[in-house]
Amino acid sequence: MSVTNLLENWSQFRHGHPVDDKPHEEYKWAMAIDLDACTGCNACSVACYAENNIPVVGKEKFNAGQQMHWMRIERYWPEDGREFADQGAQFLPMMCQQCEAAPCETVCPAGATNHTADGVNSQIYNRCVGSRYCSANCPFKVRYFNWYDYPSTDNVWPAEMTQQLNPDVSVRSKGVMEKCTFCVQRMTAAKNTARNEGRLVRDGEVQTACQQACPTNAISFGNLVDPESKVAKQWAHQQVELSKEVQAKDAQEGGTDLRGYRIMEELRLYPSVMYLERVRESAI
Amino acid sequence: MHRFLCLSILLVGLFANTGSHATEVPPSISTADDLGPKVEQPIEFPHDRHAGPRNPADAADPSVPAKGGMEINCMYCHTGARRSAVAAIPPLQKCVGCHQTINSVRETPRIQKLFEYWDAKKPVPWKKVHDLPDFVRFNHERHIQRFVFAQNKPVQEACGYCHGDVKTMTVARRQKSLSMGWCVSCHEKDHPVDVAATKTTHGPNDCWQCHK
Repeated sequence: MSVTNLLENWSQFRHGHPVDDKPHEEYKWAMAIDLDACTGCNACSVACYAENNIPVVGKEKFNAGQQMHWMRIERYWPEDGREFADQGAQFLPMMCQQCEAAPCETVCPAGATNHTADGVNSQIYNRCVGSRYCSANCPFKVRYFNWYDYPSTDNVWPAEMTQQLNPDVSVRSKGVMEKCTFCVQRMTAAKNTARNEGRLVRDGEVQTACQQACPTNAISFGNLVDPESKVAKQWAHQQVELSKEVQAKDAQEGGTDLRGYRIMEELRLYPSVMYLERVRESAI
Repeated sequence: MHRFLCLSILLVGLFANTGSHATEVPPSISTADDLGPKVEQPIEFPHDRHAGPRNPADAADPSVPAKGGMEINCMYCHTGARRSAVAAIPPLQKCVGCHQTINSVRETPRIQKLFEYWDAKKPVPWKKVHDLPDFVRFNHERHIQRFVFAQNKPVQEACGYCHGDVKTMTVARRQKSLSMGWCVSCHEKDHPVDVAATKTTHGPNDCWQCHK
């Protein structure tokens, strides 16, 4: 985005509300994660490592707070004084929430993180100077910094493991920030195919790596602009409107399944990931 | 006098410094004429002979051995361009497929070398001329579909936007800088959507469209 473009089309970029002011035209990528289905198996996290060339840092660096997992499973336990307190955890897969009003974007001194027209928060490694302001300003703590030059670090990718690196994703070098991209390489490929055929991307054509690996199909991903997509239906029927006391959706068909929320919605970040609250009883 | 001495020492120091600096300048990637480096290929492939225009004199008298080109479509050999991200270097079979029946040039040094590779069952180790950095996602298919098939531009013109006038070269050489600013300078322009269109659009402006 050039400065001329920014100045000439300022009204397009200036918004009071990130979504309602100017709805997305073709695509708005979004996700819904059903916590009722999530078993905390970590398959999504492993798939993400494999797809996105994420370095495996090892225990020592992990303990130093230098972990790199774009997708992590957070665990929560009820504090009810049970005998085996570490059993019966609730799981919550956490990755970049791709906020529409992303706090990371406004603080980047280099303009390395931007919002795309598809409503995704992009991270450009070449632009990044490693100030780490974005990570400091991220309420979800889902941005990860390359403290080391991992490709040249021992045991990150042993010799033969370099063969499994994904050529569609950069191998990041020391001093840059990285985060979940909603598997942008897959979205780009699908969009190219769709453009060649003169249509839009169909629902289900793009799968993120985590979604593909999930054994319980807890993750759904798609285009919110398309009202027929699975994600759009979930958002329309299951999302609780936090600003309203009485939920009109309760009266609708399937209203009993009204359990969608976005994390820290009160901060008005308008995340692109909706979680469906767990309703089943714990096994313990 | 003292001041003059000081000044001359300063000046001498300055020139001595620039002199030593000049010797330490690393070899530049771009060359004096602002083209890419001359890449030495295993076989000096004559693009002009294959893709160049037919000599009008030859057309009048077909019995005269042609010295002009054969106007072969770029995508006859670079088949990937219209259907994948990369344009692709043709396999050796493609060269031999034609050349086994072209007896008039069978004994020339370049073709003999070609058949040496063929007999040894080894691919020709062509070198890359247009090499983008690993963090760039460039898609040939989208550009060819848009400019050749949707807008109906001549193939050599569409390819030439980025590759220069390859039909006049023997071994291809990078003609454009292939820098980000150069890509964006074209993406900023309004291009008609198809042949008859009054509607125009510019290329994608998102960082993520090209950066990966």
